[in-house]
Amino acid sequence: MIKNRKPFTKNILHLENIDEVIENICVQLQEDVYKRFRRYGGVIGISGGIDSSVTLALAVKAFGSDKLLGIMLPETDSSPDSEQLARELADKFGVKSIVENISAALDGFGCYRRRDEAVKRVIPEYDPKVDKMKVVIPKEFVKKNMPPVHFVSVTFKDGTEKQIRLPMEEYLQIVAASNFKQRSRANMLYYHAEALNYSVLGTPNKHEVQQGFFVKYGDGAADVMPIGNLYKTQVYQIARYLGVPKSIIDRTPTTDTYSAEQTQEEFFYQMPFAKMDLLWYAWENEYLPDEVAPVMDMTMDEVSNIYKNFARKQKTTEYLRTAPLHHYGVDGIIRIS
Amino acid sequence: MKEEIRNFIAETAFSDPSVIKDDTLIFDEGIFDSMGLLGLINFIESEYNIVTEDNDLQEENFGSVERIVCFIQKKLAA
Repeated sequence: MIKNRKPFTKNILHLENIDEVIENICVQLQEDVYKRFRRYGGVIGISGGIDSSVTLALAVKAFGSDKLLGIMLPETDSSPDSEQLARELADKFGVKSIVENISAALDGFGCYRRRDEAVKRVIPEYDPKVDKMKVVIPKEFVKKNMPPVHFVSVTFKDGTEKQIRLPMEEYLQIVAASNFKQRSRANMLYYHAEALNYSVLGTPNKHEVQQGFFVKYGDGAADVMPIGNLYKTQVYQIARYLGVPKSIIDRTPTTDTYSAEQTQEEFFYQMPFAKMDLLWYAWENEYLPDEVAPVMDMTMDEVSNIYKNFARKQKTTEYLRTAPLHHYGVDGIIRIS
Repeated sequence: MKEEIRNFIAETAFSDPSVIKDDTLIFDEGIFDSMGLLGLINFIESEYNIVTEDNDLQEENFGSVERIVCFIQKKLAA
């Protein structure tokens, strides 16, 4: 058990010293980008979501708006709102922004074709020209002490919906094909970063990093992740403090990955951010279920099951957070005879 | 059947079959993730010619070797 910790309350993650937190992030960013990496500034993929917006707002404080480039990276399935909100953000903070549409690159990779082939094997009547699809985890799985199972959900043009559990082959193909999106975005971000001698500023928050809600070498590809240690509620607190537009703060976080609208809660987290933040903090800091359950208005069994789910998620996604291994050879030395 | 299930789990989890006892909780121990579970469903459906319904996906049916065997036997008897 961790000693000398605060009693668990619903307010435990509130940043009392927000100025200091922001200052520390900015000093570290300057140290890492300028001194360690010797880069002149940063590029950020801006999606109109809260995470990339706060990353940009922090980067403006760290580097100044003239040393940043915001890049919007829409594709065929992107919501038009994303580009509009990203533009609003860049304008608000005086950051130069450009649009790089990656649809043609994705077509070239066969991203849509490969994904739709897999969907059609499960739901043959799916017509990608007129129907919308997404991958979901039914909510009841969070209460089970089991790894989640994914379903494909198709909304047909007449508004009716069909949901089918995905067999392994189809699930893997849909995920692998969809991941072309994040990886193509990473390629484009690195193109601009290298052309300007800038760093790529990644946008994942603490949950995305720790629970593995990112694509390896996709949105997980970055030189620094300024909000990678912040809980989502803290990201929102900083957003309000730094003046991120209200339209972005009020927007429900989406995956913006599949053609049908989908929240991050629905796709991955399976519970609201405010609740997840507190439970993750409690688990990470070894608060016992009997300390947490009354505060969260949950049963001890529910808290225990969620703890087990967190532990499982962190363990099974370790691969995503691991850099390429190069510890091969004898005692770390490759012997040449 | 029990040994087939145990061997499948061990092989999928890159583990030694002797580590997986009849009552080892494969989800609690972090032996199985989503991929492991999907693979297991594929395996028992093709091996024993049964169909797993969505509401069969419960820890009571899949949580350990003995529960999986019991689940398959119930399905075969139905």
